[in-house]
Amino acid sequence: MFLHCETLYYAFILLNIYNFFFFWHAYLIYSSSVAAGAQSGIEECKYQFAWDRWNCPERALQLSTHSSLRSANRETAFVHAISSAGVMYTLTRNCSLGDFDNCGCDDSRNGQRGGHGWLWGGCSDNVGFGEAISKQFVDALETGQDARAAMNLHNNEAGRKAVKGTMQRTCKCHGVSGSCTTQTCWLQLPEFREVGNYLKEKYHRALKVDLLRGAGNSAASRGAIAETFSSISRKELVHLEDSPDYCLENRTLGLPGTEGRECLKKGKNLSKWEKRSCKRLCGECGLAVQERKAEMVSSCNCKFHWCCAVRCEQCRKTVTKYFCVKKGGQRGRNESASSRRKNLRLRKKH
Amino acid sequence: MAGAIIENMSTKKLVIVGVALLLCQAFTFMVGGLIAPSPTTAVPYLATKCVDTIKHRQESKWFMPWGPNQCHKIRSFDEATAKMIEANNIVFAVHIPLPNKEMSSWFQFMLVILQFDIAFKMYNQIEDGAMVTIDVGLAYRDDTISEWTEMAHSFEQRKLSCNFTTAKTYENEGRYYECDLMPFMEVGSVSHKYYLLNMRLPVNERKKVNVGIGEIKDIRLVSIHQNGGFTQVWFAMKTFLTPSILIIMIWYWRRITLMSRPPVLLEKVILALGISMTFINIPVEWFSISFNWTWMLLFGDIRQGIFYSMLLSFWIIFCGEHLMETQFFEALVLGRGELKMCVSCVPAIQIFPERPTNKSQDQTERNRFSVYWKQVGPIVFGSFCLFIFDMCERGVQLTNPFYSIWASDVGTELAMAFIIVAGICACLYFLFLCFMVFQVFRNISGKRTSLPAMSKARRLHYEGLIFRFKFLMLVTLICAAMTVIFFIISQVNEGHWHWGEHTVQVNSAFFTGIYGMWNLYVFAIMFLYAPSHKRYGDEQSSGQCITGDAGANSGEDIQLTTTITHVDGPTEIYKMTGKEAQE
Repeated sequence: MFLHCETLYYAFILLNIYNFFFFWHAYLIYSSSVAAGAQSGIEECKYQFAWDRWNCPERALQLSTHSSLRSANRETAFVHAISSAGVMYTLTRNCSLGDFDNCGCDDSRNGQRGGHGWLWGGCSDNVGFGEAISKQFVDALETGQDARAAMNLHNNEAGRKAVKGTMQRTCKCHGVSGSCTTQTCWLQLPEFREVGNYLKEKYHRALKVDLLRGAGNSAASRGAIAETFSSISRKELVHLEDSPDYCLENRTLGLPGTEGRECLKKGKNLSKWEKRSCKRLCGECGLAVQERKAEMVSSCNCKFHWCCAVRCEQCRKTVTKYFCVKKGGQRGRNESASSRRKNLRLRKKH
Repeated sequence: MAGAIIENMSTKKLVIVGVALLLCQAFTFMVGGLIAPSPTTAVPYLATKCVDTIKHRQESKWFMPWGPNQCHKIRSFDEATAKMIEANNIVFAVHIPLPNKEMSSWFQFMLVILQFDIAFKMYNQIEDGAMVTIDVGLAYRDDTISEWTEMAHSFEQRKLSCNFTTAKTYENEGRYYECDLMPFMEVGSVSHKYYLLNMRLPVNERKKVNVGIGEIKDIRLVSIHQNGGFTQVWFAMKTFLTPSILIIMIWYWRRITLMSRPPVLLEKVILALGISMTFINIPVEWFSISFNWTWMLLFGDIRQGIFYSMLLSFWIIFCGEHLMETQFFEALVLGRGELKMCVSCVPAIQIFPERPTNKSQDQTERNRFSVYWKQVGPIVFGSFCLFIFDMCERGVQLTNPFYSIWASDVGTELAMAFIIVAGICACLYFLFLCFMVFQVFRNISGKRTSLPAMSKARRLHYEGLIFRFKFLMLVTLICAAMTVIFFIISQVNEGHWHWGEHTVQVNSAFFTGIYGMWNLYVFAIMFLYAPSHKRYGDEQSSGQCITGDAGANSGEDIQLTTTITHVDGPTEIYKMTGKEAQE
């Protein structure tokens, strides 16, 4: 009897080890895709907020709960959403590259696993797989059970829903003589930019939930949190706090402020949001707009191939750029800093 | 044709037959909706970018996107630019299917769709009418270790039809064009387990090959194949339906041959309908499981085409024959009481009002198919056009799976011409059909009023005629409406409905249900429009076939098994009318 118990115990330990390695194995397979996905989320965030006061600085992008200064504002909501969307997107995309062994076929949609299900009724969409793995990885970072954790989980979910919501349904007719008596439809991943645009819209319409006051860790408040979040549509972004003033530099919050930022003023095809960027970044923050002329070397008269080979001439042209500077004084220091940044940006473009 | 089973059947039995058919119909829908999976599966693929490092090779090498012996791959073209890799050295590799899966001959066919992800660049835009030239090879193998065997190799040209929906500015550089789907490949049988596609986009500036096609970021493919489960259900259905139609067809033809007169045109057409239905039903597809028959797709198209043209011809001829009979009826009413006129209707009742007494001529006229050339002509011509089109597309694909008639301008125009001509034929046909149906109905309603004034046997005959016609009209309309409704539902719908825990596959239900429906339709026509054995002039029960007095006709069984000397309807009428005339 005793021996029997012992065997069970060891079996239990073995099972745990197995589970651990299983997860670790899974982690090794997916981690590069997850990392790449999070990175693409960040890049999209930077693009979307290029002309906003808050421009998605790297510090804001720590998804982990361990950062001591966890804010719960609109921007955090967006960062969570776009990151989990990026992870899901990349996983789904890499599925169709053949990177993973079990894309879409390991679910029980047809009641059968693996090979037979594929033969009988095909696999489900890759996007379901991407969603599941993204959930497993991104949501695992959220260990707490408080309102902030609930908010982050909700926004992660909103990000994944955004990927699903922007997918396009494409159909192909292939009946008798190519007629539409038979047609097959499938969901197609959009460009990631579409997801970014969609989430930016959601960002502007994010809902504020007042839960921070009286936030204990009691079971009752946990119930209240769950109830509140379940009543909100899973497509919407949610935040708990108001955003701080992004105009000013705030070292404790790690905010750089808008001083020295570039903005857009004139241009043919600028959107309203972009045209107002100087007013928003500089004027309304009590900063002045400074015009700088820079000589730019760019490639022109290029001969392109569809890939790789580009033969260009170098052209020089003068461009006018606008930057936010403090009203009066300290111009010299700022200028050098911002011009350095500008040069960096120009170099990046090519 | 007079004295068909449908006229002489009691209402009770008619209802029983109707309910049985409806149950079969519901069953076919349920088979598709509940047992079968969705008809087809689309699997998206993203081509892996392999680098071909060897400059001049002797034999063709195949590039694997993943697994052992995978190629040297790059993630993005920025990497290629950095490593000074040229466009000509990049091979797009796609392995079908994805890892851990294998293809099966149950998939029946596979077609692949091509899509380019082309990024917008201010100075590298897609030129108008840009063509992509793809050097593509297809290979197969049946296990994971052996060498790849080439199946097809071709240089294909596809027209890029892309548009950029957002503003063409610097800010939007890097966004993708929206490009139309391009048909890429179609194979009519999936007899191998693994397929490998290797594509190159060779650049030649002097010959203007692949110049001005923008900056390609990715190549996406979507492969579509029939689901194995659906194929199995479909085969099972065909295997079950073949004998049912075959048996009723033999039974039907035996009844016809038992009659004292030669079969009339309508009876022959019904037989032809049965034959074409059997032709579709015969499950020759079973052979495609073990043999590599790539022509199965084309063969299936031809079989369907034959059936559709047969069905359309049947409707026309059915209407035409009834039109003539009602016209004869007109003549008969006009010349009521004249025996001579009734003699002329033996054995077939067809007399044109203009030439009421010319018996032999009328009979040949009625039995001649050529009377209907005007109506059947468009059907034959239209189907012929579609046949030519299909041969140009799927016929050529037998030798080159990458061929598409839509790829070239001339081909597109030719294909459109064929389709438009076929469409015009279809319109013409439906105009004729509608006109004919309208004429029959006008005749019927016009003569309704004079029915009570007629002698009993004659009245019965014409009531039977009208009933027969209206019944077929109704059933046909219901079937056609069902087809159209289900077609629309399957187009609009997502493909499956969730009903509690069950998933109903609407598309599969559409296929099995509609297929079953037309089978039942043909079955019902052959059964109900077969000549009846029953005596016509039985005074007690003669009214019942129409009025449906179901109570008193236990003795009125349809004598399916009787082999008594046959007396068919028209002769009976002749006798009756003759008798009347004598009176």
